[in-house]
Amino acid sequence: MLHTMKPHTAPEDLIPQIAKGERAALAQLFEAESGRLLAVAQRILRRRDLAEEAIQEVFLSVWRNAGNYDRSKGTARGWLTVMARNRALNMLRDGARMDYKDGETLAELGDRSADVRAAFDALSARDALRHCLEALDASKREAVLLCYVTGLNHGEAAATMKVPLGTIKSWVRRGVVALQECLA
Amino acid sequence: MTPQDRERIGEYVLGLLEGSDAQDFEARLGSEPELAAAVAKLRAQLQTLDDTAGELPVDPALWQRIAERLDAPEDEQAQPARLRPANDNRWTRRLGMAASILAALAVGYLTGTNLTTSRQPVMIAVLLTENGSEPGAIVEAFADDTIRLVPLDLTARPADRVYQVWTLPDPETGPVSIGIFDDPATLSLSGPDLPPPEPGQLYEITLEPSGGSPTGRPTGPILVKGFAKSPL
Repeated sequence: MLHTMKPHTAPEDLIPQIAKGERAALAQLFEAESGRLLAVAQRILRRRDLAEEAIQEVFLSVWRNAGNYDRSKGTARGWLTVMARNRALNMLRDGARMDYKDGETLAELGDRSADVRAAFDALSARDALRHCLEALDASKREAVLLCYVTGLNHGEAAATMKVPLGTIKSWVRRGVVALQECLA
Repeated sequence: MTPQDRERIGEYVLGLLEGSDAQDFEARLGSEPELAAAVAKLRAQLQTLDDTAGELPVDPALWQRIAERLDAPEDEQAQPARLRPANDNRWTRRLGMAASILAALAVGYLTGTNLTTSRQPVMIAVLLTENGSEPGAIVEAFADDTIRLVPLDLTARPADRVYQVWTLPDPETGPVSIGIFDDPATLSLSGPDLPPPEPGQLYEITLEPSGGSPTGRPTGPILVKGFAKSPL
């Protein structure tokens, strides 16, 4: 059968082509997914240049590791999201934030609670995740979201919420357990 | 699935496990399908939160930069260890391979062992190289905290480095050193007082500074690693 490239081939179908070394398929995946992944990375890294660097690494990794994708284990979208998140978090943890000026860092940390509220408010009312997040105490919900949505670690979340480190750790632990039970 | 597992799953998916905690958890993901499935499930459930970030316009120069690097040689493309896809199945495959290598070796190798020593190992681990999935060493673990190590294929060490053998009796304790050696030959090492080795227990060999890791945890590159199985 002749294969013609369609403009909206599903990512799951592009990845096997990428694994065979088809650049056009990688370009198509980039076209379809890069804007979304860039937004995820930038919400964590804040800086556009760092977010672009993360996305560049993600697509190079897709090019090399497309053969490792197993569609029985999850969607291609999810696979890409995790790669973008991991790359952004690694950059953040490796000290990319150290390059920020002090004033910027503080302002950005201050913004994170607003980012988290915006993310939560944007969840659909029918989303089970929204329902389960609403069921959490406000403090646990904010702690979980600060870590997931904006990529803060325990210490940064503690500074943002102005509570001791041990409190954040316990809120996050209890929050994620309750979340998994509610979503089960 | 214990409540502690649920906590670990959540912390891992939130990106809060670092260093040896993350490594230990990822090692478990390779050997515990139920745990890996729970991680994948939570990640999929949190996807709608990622979607609230929306989409940003992408500078076409970004694709140009990627396209230019697609032909770069492999060594320039070395990826950080933690940049792993969510459903990475390499570990599962390596475990399968380890099992078949073990089966292939079992007849001749263990028969030979029985002729030369009356001691029976409690566990055997075939340690595979990180990228080639080649068997790199065999560990026989005995009930008295000693191991017999048979190197098969270990990367040559620089003059200022030694090989250090580690095991992970339980993720809470973290990796424990069994001993160091500088000459890859069959040898016995006597580790610290540990619980009896269990099926699935991780063994690995890293390169460390002379005298062994200064931190008491693996700091150098992992040369080979594998999970224990009990001999039939």
